Amino acid sequence: MSTTETIRATAGTGKPQDAAAPKVTYGRNGVPITPGGLKGDGFRTYEVHQRERLGQSTAKIKPMQLISPEFIRDPYPLLEILRENYPSYRDWLENAYWITRYDDVTSIFTDDANFETRPRRWFYNIADYGRDLRLELPVLFAQAEAIDDNAQPAAEQIVGDIRAKGSANLGIDFAARFALELLVRQLDLPKEDAPLFCERYWRMTHGFNTDPVAEQDGLAAIRELTAYFRPLLARRRAEPGEDLISAVAGLDLDGGPATAEDLVITLLEGDHETLHGGLANTLFLLLTHPDQFQKVKDERRMAKFAFLEALRHSAPVLAARRFARHEVERFGKLIPGGGMIICSAGAANRDPRQYKEPEKFIVGRKDLCQREPRGQYRADGLPAGIAFGLGKPSKHPAVPEDRPRSLYAITRDTATTALNVLIDGLPGLRLKPGARPELRSLKLWDTHTCWDLPVDFDH
Amino acid sequence: MDSITAFLSNIVENTDAKPSEGSGPSAKPGSVPRAQSLSSHDFPLMPVGQACDMGHAPDGTPLIDSRIFNSFEFFRNPYPYYRIMRDHYPVFFDKLHNCYYVTRYDDITTCYFDDEGFNTIPKGSSSGVLGNTQLELSGVEHRRRRNLYGQHLVGKSLDNRLHAIEAIGEEMIADWGNLDESIVQDRNGVRTVAIGKAFANEFPIRVVCDVLGFPKESRKKFFYWYNSMMSGLGGSETHHQGLEARQDLEDYVGTLVEERRAHPTYLYDAAGDPIGKDIISKLCETQIDGDYLSTEEITSNIALVVGGGGETTRGAILNMWYLLLQHPRQLDAVLADPETMWDVAFHETLRHSTPIGGQPRHNSFDIELHGVKIPAGSLVNMVDFSANHDDRIFKDPETFNIFRPDLYSGKLLRSGYRKEGKCSHMAFGVGPHLCPGAWISHQEAVIGSKILQRHLKNPRLNVDKMPKDFDGSLLPIGLISAREVWIDYDLN
Repeated sequence: MSTTETIRATAGTGKPQDAAAPKVTYGRNGVPITPGGLKGDGFRTYEVHQRERLGQSTAKIKPMQLISPEFIRDPYPLLEILRENYPSYRDWLENAYWITRYDDVTSIFTDDANFETRPRRWFYNIADYGRDLRLELPVLFAQAEAIDDNAQPAAEQIVGDIRAKGSANLGIDFAARFALELLVRQLDLPKEDAPLFCERYWRMTHGFNTDPVAEQDGLAAIRELTAYFRPLLARRRAEPGEDLISAVAGLDLDGGPATAEDLVITLLEGDHETLHGGLANTLFLLLTHPDQFQKVKDERRMAKFAFLEALRHSAPVLAARRFARHEVERFGKLIPGGGMIICSAGAANRDPRQYKEPEKFIVGRKDLCQREPRGQYRADGLPAGIAFGLGKPSKHPAVPEDRPRSLYAITRDTATTALNVLIDGLPGLRLKPGARPELRSLKLWDTHTCWDLPVDFDH
Repeated sequence: MDSITAFLSNIVENTDAKPSEGSGPSAKPGSVPRAQSLSSHDFPLMPVGQACDMGHAPDGTPLIDSRIFNSFEFFRNPYPYYRIMRDHYPVFFDKLHNCYYVTRYDDITTCYFDDEGFNTIPKGSSSGVLGNTQLELSGVEHRRRRNLYGQHLVGKSLDNRLHAIEAIGEEMIADWGNLDESIVQDRNGVRTVAIGKAFANEFPIRVVCDVLGFPKESRKKFFYWYNSMMSGLGGSETHHQGLEARQDLEDYVGTLVEERRAHPTYLYDAAGDPIGKDIISKLCETQIDGDYLSTEEITSNIALVVGGGGETTRGAILNMWYLLLQHPRQLDAVLADPETMWDVAFHETLRHSTPIGGQPRHNSFDIELHGVKIPAGSLVNMVDFSANHDDRIFKDPETFNIFRPDLYSGKLLRSGYRKEGKCSHMAFGVGPHLCPGAWISHQEAVIGSKILQRHLKNPRLNVDKMPKDFDGSLLPIGLISAREVWIDYDLN
């Protein structure tokens, strides 16, 4: 047994267990001395760190691979290496820890006492620009009602346009457009403003990652949107409607009435990626798995399960970042206060410890919990796919009765509505012959989804 | 009709991950993508001293793309990018590598002195290869450990050992005749020698071995451990090898320590009188907080002394010769007055091209620096490279000039870096963590160079054998020290 193996075998016990251990001699201080050294004795500030020293060697992966174009295109092979070999991978290049197993990821997501989320505006270095009002009750209600009222008509309008045009790239013409259309309707924006708003909104929500040019674009978009919303907010305050802007305008909080800055930050922190990416990935998977698509067409209640399974199989938001609030030991590593943890939903959702044949896309799979996560990720003994933060549960003893449904439920139902409208409206939906669609992110850490999904249908 | 998504077609086109060609609906299972290029973004190679265009803010401020730090362009030509950071982002938040860079001389020195606000608590900056060292301690814990062997590296106990350093150098050069063709070649009365392989790589290690008290016969192994450990730092690709070398070293030291606890060994001065115990023997009998040091701790201390005393000094010697040989007028001045000018050249070399680029710190509290809010516990990199090229301190910093009037080149002290109206370079840092080996490394480089000077008649650079830049000129030193310097000299 080589020294390295001895250390691995005895890691944690502090004593070599080799049967042929050499004779023990004693030093002046009465501490046993062996040729292998004084394992576990003497002064150690960070024993865990030391014990894990050899375990930290991660020869099967290079940190550079985790920011490579190959990873941006298809992260799953590398995520599998991490999950199966280095469940808590210390990434020296990105100065982060990768957590990739289902139970580990969910344990961090549910541990607000030890780990914090930093909002997008923190990554923009404009933490004090405005307040995030997403969790104010009037805003939640306005959002839920606007989405419920508009999901069906928005989807019908888009499908109508696609029919009129005769062909479509569903990734953009349906999934991305539906998410944006719904947002425009929630805000009740004038029709002529919608294109410019959508472009600015997209720049704003895609600029806080690493690309400095995109960051400048995003910051400019934030300023432009603030200028755009200022008069609109004042008008809605004077003549309120049912929309989200009116709900924000009506708020009078401890820190003063809501401002245009608050509205923009509320939109920035909100998320349309799960709806857009989830819809696009569902359609991509259904169109490339005709047998599963048939299941949905045969039995329409399966549309909901198709969406949830697509979020599990191909999560559009691959990872969420958390920061240790203080020094904590997790998964055999000492994570320093302020340390960044990359919780990979993409890896956890394909964890074979949770799902049988996780690489397979199976609509209605029996080992996926189909219920809304309420304060925990498991129900009925089954793991839910990780696609949403836990958020505020909609039904919980601690939550008032008059709370609207959770974003999880709203998004799921909206996507189901959109899928059903699409399937009804475009009979014979199929991939364009010769099309080879694939999932990819456009930039590092961006939505992992299908951007090019050309289809034909019966006219 | 479809105008709200019209802008997307442009965005989808302009992307880092182009659609893969010919791949099916999903990638082949089990296929592992390989990292193809050094960077995720191809940065053009620029003439030395010019930065490539990474975009501009609306007000014209040049932007820094974090991916540049992984690129070859940055490795060979880092200084123009540090200039952008100093001028426009004195505290730069690098989201890709999750860290902050502090780049101005004054900010860095302030932070180095602030032992409490900027701690060195182990976040594994050596990634476990060196182990627990005082690099990662603060306050009194740090001071106690540092003082254990710091005394061997300075002052009288070092002066008394200079003869040994000299002897090691002479011994190595005497052996040149027996070296391989790939290191030393004789042609027509001219000898061509790679002074890295023939001298600079091993000289500092042998000196350190000697001061530590390693037996002579262990040198070869020691050299291997050293090389593996150094190349395995920072979680690099050879990390695993570094960790195994470290384990081997620890095993070896275990035996040695056992021996030395019973029979300590001594260092002797030129007259043969004992000066004191060597560092290992000293560490064996040292108590901290009422407890003897464990082998593991002793190994970490040794690894640190070796790591600190090897690569840096080697780099300093090679960089110094490389730069001087490219500036013949300055080389002549040094050769004409070796007693003072080698010291001056040493300091200017470390200012112009330091082998160690900076030190990591972690801020203990939430702070705001130059308008950037840094949450407690963040990794804050103090970029010594940049401090040394800060034109707020050094005029015309990109020029190598041993006659420069604004660089302090006397003895470096923990307490200060501004002497006689001049500033010292930051290659050794400043404050409580000032490199304890600053003085011995200075002595090694200067004594080593004086020995080389005695043997190299009419030295000149063998340009043909030196690595070239993309345009055919000599490769700049950039972020890593010169790997090799080929010198021609006359044998008679």
